[in-house]
Amino acid sequence: MSAEIQVDEKLVKEIASLARLDLTQEETEMFVSQFKDILDYVSILNEVDTENVPPAYLSSANKNQPREDEIEASVPTAEFIANAPQSKDEYVVIPRVHIEQ
Amino acid sequence: MDLHDLSIQQVHEYLSSRKVSSEELTRAYLARVQRLDPQIKSYVTVSEELALDQARDADQRIKMGEGLTPLTGIPYSAKDSISTRGIPTTCSSKILENYKPFYDSTAIKKLKSTNAVLLGKNNMDEFGMGSSTENSGFFTTRNPWNLDYVPGGSSGGSAAAVAAGLAPFSLGEDTGGSVRMPASFCGITGLKTTYGRVSRYGLIPLVSSFDTIGPMARSAYDVALVLETIAGHDPKDSTSRVEPVQRYSDTLNKTENLRGLRIGIPKEYFVEGLDLEVDAALRNAIKQIEALGAEAVEVSLPHTQYAIPVYYLILFAEASSNLAKYDGVRFGLSERNVESLMDVYLKTREIGFGAETKRRIMLGTFALSAGYYDAYYLKAQKVRTLIRQDFQKAFETCDALITPVAPTTAFRIGEKITNPLDMYLSDVHVVAVNLAGIPALSVPCGISNGLPIGMQIMGPHLSEETLLRIGHMYQNQTDWHMKHPPCWND
Repeated sequence: MSAEIQVDEKLVKEIASLARLDLTQEETEMFVSQFKDILDYVSILNEVDTENVPPAYLSSANKNQPREDEIEASVPTAEFIANAPQSKDEYVVIPRVHIEQ
Repeated sequence: MDLHDLSIQQVHEYLSSRKVSSEELTRAYLARVQRLDPQIKSYVTVSEELALDQARDADQRIKMGEGLTPLTGIPYSAKDSISTRGIPTTCSSKILENYKPFYDSTAIKKLKSTNAVLLGKNNMDEFGMGSSTENSGFFTTRNPWNLDYVPGGSSGGSAAAVAAGLAPFSLGEDTGGSVRMPASFCGITGLKTTYGRVSRYGLIPLVSSFDTIGPMARSAYDVALVLETIAGHDPKDSTSRVEPVQRYSDTLNKTENLRGLRIGIPKEYFVEGLDLEVDAALRNAIKQIEALGAEAVEVSLPHTQYAIPVYYLILFAEASSNLAKYDGVRFGLSERNVESLMDVYLKTREIGFGAETKRRIMLGTFALSAGYYDAYYLKAQKVRTLIRQDFQKAFETCDALITPVAPTTAFRIGEKITNPLDMYLSDVHVVAVNLAGIPALSVPCGISNGLPIGMQIMGPHLSEETLLRIGHMYQNQTDWHMKHPPCWND
């Protein structure tokens, strides 16, 4: 696994952008070295022959039990909005996304 | 005899015979928290007024004498990842510091309906990521047995609170040892439940396919009383189990010995790196369990050494997805001194998450990204199948397996925090259980240099009754679970 992967600042910055994290330079450098160690460690899985082994995904063979799709009272909007960092009437407020040309 | 010396069963007798009221009991616990918790730091929120209201309601119910259960009027605490209506639920993260859920998790709802009394919420590693509470966004909880040592994690606040007599029981949550490891480090009894036995509704997720809510208390018997209250199918959690919940405490009352049980001792769990005193304590405990009539046999779980890399790869992936919702828009911390919506996301997450959380989000985003998915995430899920098969095979011939909970007793605060990989390796005995979704009980079985040692009893899916029987019978013969840290009498 890790043998072919070049863990460098460029890769860490790309991942940070996908993960929506605005890392500091110090954090970026720290992650470069820690990623190498951790990816190196997990490469032990390469030893295991998983040819014809299905992935597990769920932690038991138990089947999901979906409930009936019945209408029930929902949370009053005011209670939901109470946790919003910024709101107006019954709406969540965010910085403007449309920029006038 | 002080009120905090009483077990749940004893307090229940005091309450139902009106020797003490729930309000008196609750006030006694709140006073103890106020006196001792500034040193131990097990609570992030103490909901005093609400607790006293709930206690007075419980006293009304006791007065009427109708529908009392063993938990009516009993105080408790809960890990801060378990949603409580109107009470901050922060996951010990700055990003949720001001978040107050508008609904109760199902486990809390069930405890409310029996009039148990919530004292407050316990500290944890941020979002459950850690083995020491050092990753809490607020502060580190101390091990009541020695304040220079960690209580274990991630449910370290819950374990420390129960160990120090700051709550008779606590609801913990176990994703990869987070109930068992702190229970072991703090000398209490903790149960990682079968995946789906307790509803996850209202539990803030870390790894949705591993997370389980489980009781942490002073004995297997008390754990049984809590489990029979919170377990059961919930239409709001499609992964919850539909099988009926047993009356575990009834079974324990009737248990006299462990005859007919076959206990497997997985040889891969007793290898190099295991502390000698932990090894000796486990060997002794196994002998005592044999003396109760069980038969012990050596078994093999050949894929054990792969459990940690599999666990962490899946954790990174699922956690990074689960934590994508913390973006500063609908709830929680939000950095608004910025120019664009993208900057709200970037800055909020940068300021709000701690170092370990960022590290895992990064590793998960990487493991799931195009080009790496097959090599990491998919590979891990395939090896997970092999680890599950190891357990299935062992349980064809054994009713339960016994291992240490951790290779050592509690480590010093600061000892492992600078080396994340070293911290991950302390989970070597606990994570396989979560990969397989099986239950496991942590029971105190010794003390080394003033710090508790824990025994782990694992069983097949829905074998909680067997695990509690073994734990209860062992505790009838031994007094490790009755030993308390020095602060107990303060």
